[in-house]
Amino acid sequence: MTDLRPRTAERTGKNSDVTPPPRRRLGDFLGRMDAKWSPYLFVAPFFVIFGIFGLFPLGYTAWVSLHKWSMGGSGTFIGFENYVELFDDPDFWNATINTLGMLVLATVPQLLIALVLASLLNHGLRGLTILRVGVLLPIVTSVAAVGIVFSQIYARDVGMVNGMLGLIGVDAVDWRADKWSSWIAISTMVNWRWTGYNALIYLAAMQSIPRDLYEAATVDGASRIRQFWNITVPMIRPAIIFTVIMSTIAGMQLFTEPLIFGQGSYAISGGSLRQFQTLSMYMFEKAFRDFEYGYGSAVAWMIFVLIMLLALINFLIMRKGK
Amino acid sequence: MPVRLRRTLLATALAGALAATSACGGETGDSAGSGKTTLVIKTFSQFGYEQLFAEYEASHPNISIEEENIGSLGDYLPKLQQWIATGEGAGDVVALEEGILSQFMANPQHFVNLFDHGAAELETNFLDWKWRQALTSDGNKLIGLGTDIGAQGMCYRTDLFAEAGLPTDRKAVGELWPTWEEYLATGERFLAADTGAHFFDSSNGIYQNILMQQGDHTYYDTSNNLVIDSNPAVRTAWDMTVDMVEAGLSANIEPWSPQWNAGFKNGTFATIPCPSWMLGTIEEQSGPENADKWDVARVPGDGAVRGGSFLAVPTQSEHQAEAAELVKFLTSPEGQIAAFKSKNNFPSSPQAIDDPAVQNFTNDYFNDAPVGKIFGESAKALQPVYLGPDNNPIGDRVSNALVAVEQDKLSPDEAWKKAVEDAKRLVN
Amino acid sequence: MRRSPVLVYCTLIAAIAFSAFPLYWLFVVATRTNDVVGDWPPPLLPGDNLGDNIARLFAAEQANFLTGLINSSIASVVVTVSVVFFSSLAGFAFAKLKFRGRNALLVIILATMMIPVQMGIIPLYMIMVELGWQNELQAVIVPFLVSAFGVFLMRQYAERAVPDELLEAARVDGCNTFRIYWTVVLPALRPGAAVLGLFTFMATWNEFLWPLAVLEADNPTVQFSLRQLSTTYYTDYTLMFTGALVATLPLLLVFIMFGKQIVGGIMEGAVKA
Repeated sequence: MTDLRPRTAERTGKNSDVTPPPRRRLGDFLGRMDAKWSPYLFVAPFFVIFGIFGLFPLGYTAWVSLHKWSMGGSGTFIGFENYVELFDDPDFWNATINTLGMLVLATVPQLLIALVLASLLNHGLRGLTILRVGVLLPIVTSVAAVGIVFSQIYARDVGMVNGMLGLIGVDAVDWRADKWSSWIAISTMVNWRWTGYNALIYLAAMQSIPRDLYEAATVDGASRIRQFWNITVPMIRPAIIFTVIMSTIAGMQLFTEPLIFGQGSYAISGGSLRQFQTLSMYMFEKAFRDFEYGYGSAVAWMIFVLIMLLALINFLIMRKGK
Repeated sequence: MPVRLRRTLLATALAGALAATSACGGETGDSAGSGKTTLVIKTFSQFGYEQLFAEYEASHPNISIEEENIGSLGDYLPKLQQWIATGEGAGDVVALEEGILSQFMANPQHFVNLFDHGAAELETNFLDWKWRQALTSDGNKLIGLGTDIGAQGMCYRTDLFAEAGLPTDRKAVGELWPTWEEYLATGERFLAADTGAHFFDSSNGIYQNILMQQGDHTYYDTSNNLVIDSNPAVRTAWDMTVDMVEAGLSANIEPWSPQWNAGFKNGTFATIPCPSWMLGTIEEQSGPENADKWDVARVPGDGAVRGGSFLAVPTQSEHQAEAAELVKFLTSPEGQIAAFKSKNNFPSSPQAIDDPAVQNFTNDYFNDAPVGKIFGESAKALQPVYLGPDNNPIGDRVSNALVAVEQDKLSPDEAWKKAVEDAKRLVN
Repeated sequence: MRRSPVLVYCTLIAAIAFSAFPLYWLFVVATRTNDVVGDWPPPLLPGDNLGDNIARLFAAEQANFLTGLINSSIASVVVTVSVVFFSSLAGFAFAKLKFRGRNALLVIILATMMIPVQMGIIPLYMIMVELGWQNELQAVIVPFLVSAFGVFLMRQYAERAVPDELLEAARVDGCNTFRIYWTVVLPALRPGAAVLGLFTFMATWNEFLWPLAVLEADNPTVQFSLRQLSTTYYTDYTLMFTGALVATLPLLLVFIMFGKQIVGGIMEGAVKA
């Protein structure tokens, strides 16, 4: 398909004087068709495959969410009843708060540490490539491996963190028993995984800042910390916004880390009082453990709506910044 | 409804899928195309059927069997649900854990009535309560035949018992606790000796044991009304468990967690209710250096069984008759004895329980304890208990409430209230 | 801008030690025997049991680990090539070509990134039933051949990395649009494509829920194998750790091979981002 047209187009373009009129008209025609339809052709594969494997599940989930759908698989249409029930469901709101809380705990320190790391890496040091590759190691470590290692690290009786706390005389913490402790533990897993990646994004942005800005500031006697806040941060703002949006979307769908952190056969509940159950976990519990597939689908749609809302807020802030 | 429509549309796709599945089967490889019927059996955890499949294939030359196994029940359930919801993929035989079976009893149309395949005469092959679990309330439809049951003993550490000045002989230990009150009293004596260990691992197993001994129903009555807050049986089991937690008996360790595994080796807890298949786990976790430190006594109260499974034939199977025959073979007393020998899955058939292979079964890691006898007695002593549709999810919530008490996050009253409210909200 | 280099080095090395620790510890336990589990202090130096553990890993019947590795390798490579190709193609179109409905289509793509993945399992399984793809490797490949994240990333990247003058020059030379993409755009996008490639490879390699839903244990992906391993051999810690380590090695390999280019890619892509 693409074999034939380039050659024709090329010839008509280069030898327009010599080419006989009919060919030229054909060439123009192909050229116009190319300009008009190529963009659609280029984006079509995405939409075709997504339409089959993405859109159908989305629509199907919406349809199921309007049904009472038990293990028997016979759905009864109940309109928006699942959604009404959802608004009265303390477990749903608990999961929403947990998700947002861990989102903050996992995003803010992650991006701040990444900023600091980036500014440290932004020196003409020897062995920089090794250091840069080094901070990327966590994202290569497979999720299952991360889970196994961290559940050992945060074990109450035989875990490393409690062991070290014991050395300095602090009582062992039951990391799964409280919201604050479980949120910290889970956020640590997330932060550990993604900080290096964000640091490199910032580093790249920092390297494009013109040197003379700093030199002028130094002449004016601005301290290094002032320079960092007044020059570096504003200059890399687009990169920061990009990472905030990506972290938000990932954070709203947080599932694997808390699931691995919670142990035993009912780990999906995220702790005895659902201390660290996220929205995705709640959805999964309702749909695949309580076998209330319709209700679980309603939760899925609420997650979708919430992420849209957050993305919109992000977007508005971004616009205002411009 | 949409499922049925698609069933006809999909006849060809299904045939293709089945052929494809058997082509990927590995072990049974060359059976495709030879006119054999391939039966697909879906299992979770370990049923110990490898030897039985080989026997069955040898005596039924037209049948080849393919087992598709998922390591944990938790991973198996979403798959089971997706097979039922889409009407495809369940194969010819599915394994159902008893709580899941209870959930399906309200919608038995997904499974073949085994009475249509001559199962009626098998009734005496099963413990009465096991048989009835898979029988619809009108008694007309049988959707599954029992495999194993979680018959239990009480495993205990002889070294810790000796240190605390308690008897170590399994008969004498069993006599320490004819009832759960006396088990609690023994626990207090144990704690007073200050060995540094707790008395049991977590409240959940204890609670389930007590609950199943309290009467003929638990969270539901036999007409499927939720009675969690009015059935004294539930409250009795709850209160007794809470008393033990408040006495400091529990180590509050989540079963199947790293600390639980380490707890066996380090002697963190002195007793644990143990189904027969757990003996292997205890042996591996405790390691050779703790050989002969573990022993098995009887469980307090009358009869102790937790969990157990069934085999059923889904109506989506295209070989229902052949599948039913296979189910009958696997759940026969002989089949159950073979599964017991292979993976320690304790039989649900009285004939199998009385078989010398089970009765004379001892475990040398546990001081040669006659575990076959101990488990058999507790299995036969148990009275039938009706479970009801949402038994499992409600049980999940009650056990979470107990953990919250153990963690000191809720008072027992608050936790009870929460468990009841959660259950009501779930069922509503 | 002089800061004590010693201090900077120390901080960075500490950060890297922190980053690498879980991976290192995985390695340590994988070289030990089960005796050390539950010990305090935990072992921090490797033992000499790695060979044994790896042999046991591949012999573990329930896990089919070798099949898992092969399946995941095939799936990850195919998905990665496809996602990089289609994403750069669409990203280029969104960034540099004018067409009606461009913004609307872009918004749709952004919205699809926000769909929670776990819910699609049952409807997706229905499609697989229609196609007869249960327990077939293509079931974990075909639905993932395109990626909204990829299109978005490549669009951001192409906007800056492909100068308009270059496109103009190619057009004057009479190149058609696809040829421009192939000879001008794709080379300019290479560093960004490397980043997307690594990410896609990792995501496919780590995918767990969907393979578990549509495949069976005799034909698993590597994460499915790991799961079977940890649920069937739950008493055998070193075996689980060895499995997790071996499952990470291919990622490490891909990473080392492309490491430098990827680091460059992230940095170039981020300037505008």
